Amino acid sequence: MIPELGHYALMLALGLAVIQGLMPVVGTSSNDDVLIGMAAPAALAQFGFVAVAFVALAVSYVTSDFSVLNVYENSNSTMPFIYRLTAIWGNHEGSMLLWVSILTFFGALVAVFGVNLPAKLKANALAVQGWIAAAFELFILATSNPFLRIVNAPFEGRDLNPILQDPGLAFHPPLLYLGYVGFSIVFSFAIAALIEGRIDAAWARFVRPWVLVAWMCLTLGIAGGSYWAYYELGWGGFWFWDPVENASLMPWLAGTALLHSAVVMEKRSALKIWTILLAILVFSLSLIGTFLVRSGVLTSVHAFATDPRRGIFILTILVLFIGGALSLYAWRAPLLKQGGLFAPISREGALVLNNLFLTSACVTVFVGTLYPLALEALAGQKISVGPPFFNLTFVPLFIPLLLAMPFGPLLGWKRGDLVGAAQRLMAAEMLAAVAVAAAFALEHGGPVVAPFGVGLAIFVMAGALVDIAERTMILRLPLRAALRRAAGLPRSAWGTAFAHFGIGVTLFGIVAATAWGSERIVAIKPGNSVNIFHYQLTFDGMFDRSGPNYRDAVGHFTVRRSGGSLIGVMQPSRRTFPASNMAVTEAALMRRGISQIYLSLGDSNLSGAVPVRLYFKPDVIMIWWGAALMFFGGALSLSDRRLRVGAPKPAKRIRAALRAAG
Amino acid sequence: MTRKQRRLVLIGGSLGVLAMALALMLNAFRGSIVFFNSPSDVMAKPVAPGRRIRLGGLVKSGSLLRGDNLKARFEVTDGRREVPVTYQGVLPDLFREGQGVVAEGAFDGTGVFRADTILAKHDATYMPKEVVDALKKSGHWKDEYAQRAAVPIAGGGK
Amino acid sequence: MILWFILASMTAAAIFAVLWPLGRGPRARRGGSDLLVYKDQLREIDRDRAAGLIGDAEAEAARLEISRRLLAAAEAQPKGAGKAAVAASPQSLRRKRLAAILVLVILPLGPPSLYLALGSPDVPDQSAFARVNAPSGREPVAALVGQVEALLGRNPNDGRGWELIAPVYMRLGRFGDAVEARRKALELNGETAVRHADLGEALAAAADGIVTVEAKAQFERAVAIDAHEPKARYFLGLAASQDGNSKKAAAIWRSLLDGAPPGAPWVGFVRKALARLSASSPIATTPTAGESAKAGADGLAAATAKPGAATATNPRVSASTASAHPPDTPRTSVSTTPSTGSTSKAGAIIPRNPQQ
Repeated sequence: MIPELGHYALMLALGLAVIQGLMPVVGTSSNDDVLIGMAAPAALAQFGFVAVAFVALAVSYVTSDFSVLNVYENSNSTMPFIYRLTAIWGNHEGSMLLWVSILTFFGALVAVFGVNLPAKLKANALAVQGWIAAAFELFILATSNPFLRIVNAPFEGRDLNPILQDPGLAFHPPLLYLGYVGFSIVFSFAIAALIEGRIDAAWARFVRPWVLVAWMCLTLGIAGGSYWAYYELGWGGFWFWDPVENASLMPWLAGTALLHSAVVMEKRSALKIWTILLAILVFSLSLIGTFLVRSGVLTSVHAFATDPRRGIFILTILVLFIGGALSLYAWRAPLLKQGGLFAPISREGALVLNNLFLTSACVTVFVGTLYPLALEALAGQKISVGPPFFNLTFVPLFIPLLLAMPFGPLLGWKRGDLVGAAQRLMAAEMLAAVAVAAAFALEHGGPVVAPFGVGLAIFVMAGALVDIAERTMILRLPLRAALRRAAGLPRSAWGTAFAHFGIGVTLFGIVAATAWGSERIVAIKPGNSVNIFHYQLTFDGMFDRSGPNYRDAVGHFTVRRSGGSLIGVMQPSRRTFPASNMAVTEAALMRRGISQIYLSLGDSNLSGAVPVRLYFKPDVIMIWWGAALMFFGGALSLSDRRLRVGAPKPAKRIRAALRAAG
Repeated sequence: MTRKQRRLVLIGGSLGVLAMALALMLNAFRGSIVFFNSPSDVMAKPVAPGRRIRLGGLVKSGSLLRGDNLKARFEVTDGRREVPVTYQGVLPDLFREGQGVVAEGAFDGTGVFRADTILAKHDATYMPKEVVDALKKSGHWKDEYAQRAAVPIAGGGK
Repeated sequence: MILWFILASMTAAAIFAVLWPLGRGPRARRGGSDLLVYKDQLREIDRDRAAGLIGDAEAEAARLEISRRLLAAAEAQPKGAGKAAVAASPQSLRRKRLAAILVLVILPLGPPSLYLALGSPDVPDQSAFARVNAPSGREPVAALVGQVEALLGRNPNDGRGWELIAPVYMRLGRFGDAVEARRKALELNGETAVRHADLGEALAAAADGIVTVEAKAQFERAVAIDAHEPKARYFLGLAASQDGNSKKAAAIWRSLLDGAPPGAPWVGFVRKALARLSASSPIATTPTAGESAKAGADGLAAATAKPGAATATNPRVSASTASAHPPDTPRTSVSTTPSTGSTSKAGAIIPRNPQQ
């Protein structure tokens, strides 16, 4: 009965989504407060029923109810509890339900916390949310229903894809979805503003926290996915420029641009039209990402053809929403009033530059990802666009962006002083120069540009520190006064500094790990040793180990310093899952400071030797620490009271002010 | 600066960055695109030695020879033609005789394809889509290959 | 009955949730206003000015810009607030009625008709945990076995039940029971090459991997029915190699390989067996033939649970499951036999971020 309740709840949610999409629009166009007032309860009720559906599916998964086809196909009663739970989104149907759950959850948040919003804006935004939700609920029910049943339940399920039975991947998809779907709120507000034909300062105020939340989740999701690929795929790479990765990178790039343009709009009421366009584009890119991954076009043309309904359905959603939004934009955007003026060299100008480079970088990723698909569809020619393409396009666009980044926060609003900023950045510039020289002196081998990469990373990090030092005047005032200033600094300023610092940290990790890492690929027999960097690894032999639902063939390696002293043991393994008869490689990682030794096993061949891949990855951990810092910076910014939900003051005082005004 | 000048600077700057992006892309497209070929394609229209391509097909049954130092030699077939391939490194988990494979690399002067990357990214029944298409073209496609499509995969090797 | 009652109350709750605001009557419109945002922006300029983030002249200009907007917003304000009060006009009543009718049409008709088309109200929950009432990971199998055994005790002529439990016995290592179950299945469901091969496999496993005379007879019978039954042919080769007749074993396996359909997953395994046979000196890490037979049987048990399950599915959905694992083709029954042998690793698929 529980799956049936979930199934029906999803259908009710679809009905409610239709109502949520209709009534508020009628209400705002006829200025009818009663109909406008239906938006919020409908959004809440819709979330309630989608939640019932999700919980029902979760219960079926956790209790291994194999009478549900989706559970039977993707779960197994021998799996640990946590993977029985995460198996929900380890498959297409369940992950779409998660997508809609997050969507309606955010809609409910808007309904509850949007009390300070202009009523019409809120109602229209909720209506747009209703359309999106209705489209995806229909998609689930029509093509990807997770609640189909089996009359005589099988005794055992088919197991979750072993590669997904990993803590890293368990939480990677929900984070990405939080990001994608968070941008749907921004999209809804953009459409609502276009419907009304006006956009006010409250718009940017309300939208910015959503942009921040979505951006934070996407940042963490991408970083998590990258770390997962790093240790699970066994190749030691952390970014492959794979279409699926690009699908999440594109919304991130455009979202980062939006994050910055929303600041200009909020503070100076400028860049309105551009910000609205970005808001539409970011969500469109999220939808395209969903389409690329979900329709199967990337995996194989054949996968798309075996179930064309799914692909065509998502494509229709894509065309309707993106096409509709852009047409509405073309029609309504000219109505929006221009905002504040600024000189090219100013904080606003710096943010425009940031937007230019980020969107251009996004365009290159977009072209590189979709060009092969388009070419194959149109000309039937098969090509692959790999890392070389992105290294030649994306990287050169990011270098000027990163060079300009420390200047931005030091420029004044409206009109800035570039020379003054350069002077204040003197310390950072010198530090960067020292870093370049030091890198040349200390490191041998690797590309010639690598030391400059390190210098750029140092410049970015130091620039963030200079920004804080300037604002607190820590070098000019006595310590106590400076600390007082630091405490008085808005949290969003701290957030900016942390996030920018994080970019530098990540860049440092990327440069160091790619330029100065070492790699050994050898076949090794028990008793033999292999050397890498300053370490020596001895292969002691293989042994077997069994887990709850898998068997491990484990290699035992002793790690010593080249001098001889013992450091520890590494145990990479090849893990076989009997339920699905698949094997995965479990790499072993050993942390040395911020560097890592990376060891993974290949398939042993007949001669008794085991092929191993051994890497030394200097400073590699910084890549993900940087992402964590960016997330933390976002969180700090989010906690800034002025940005919290809508308007600058608590609701009570607003109502008082309204009474006074009305 | 007047309002007009400011706008001019803005528009000029935007166009400049966009032009730069466009130039970078066109340049990159010229140099870094890798074409996919089946063994029949290669036989029909020889590829210049040293030019990077992707070669896709099935690993011919019984053709795999493993040597010392993780060297491997095998043949890639599309049912009509075969191309000898050499590779040094750890073959992917799913590299099997009779299974689909995509090798990236270039021909040496003697007609042997030197692969530096081997992609055999599929489960027991999934095949890289290029291989599927190539096999279909040569009439060697069988529907049982497609019983289960797998999730896309990245990675690959060095 | 309870289900229909709950579904009806869910519908009622949904209707109530959206109709409730209609019943509340007109209310003063609540919501934020731009005024406060602009006022806060003015304050922020002062803060930025104090922090040196904006020049004096620019601050003055910005203040002017914001004040202009503030004035405009203040003018627009009373108009909007005034409108909110007029709500009980006849037009609005008509709209209200229309909205209520729409809700009362969409919610009570839409979801129920969808449900009648897609739902399966008669299918009971069959959670593995409710069925066996045991929380930890491994016990359910034992408890499930107990249940099926109890069922079979009551109805020993249930051929499908025997067929279902046999692979579970194999996996649990209860080879003696597996032999009995497969004998019963053969007897009750009629003989096929696969069933004979399965029985032979169980017999061999029960004899610690030695292909006994009895097991060999089963494989020979299987091959007599279907000369292409790969599992039987593999074991016949194994039997020959255990008899010391490597030449014959190699011949059998080689012909098995030659006749292999392209992409057959057991090819690698048979090839390895062949390689072991031809290797002059056995390698220490290579399992003995007996071990690999056992491992193969073990893996097979796990896999054959699937076709059994597929036959048990609802005909409406079984099309998709059964087509993936046709229950009676030889392919399914051997596909996984080799891959759990300790030297041959089944392949991993390596998906990239299969998230979105």
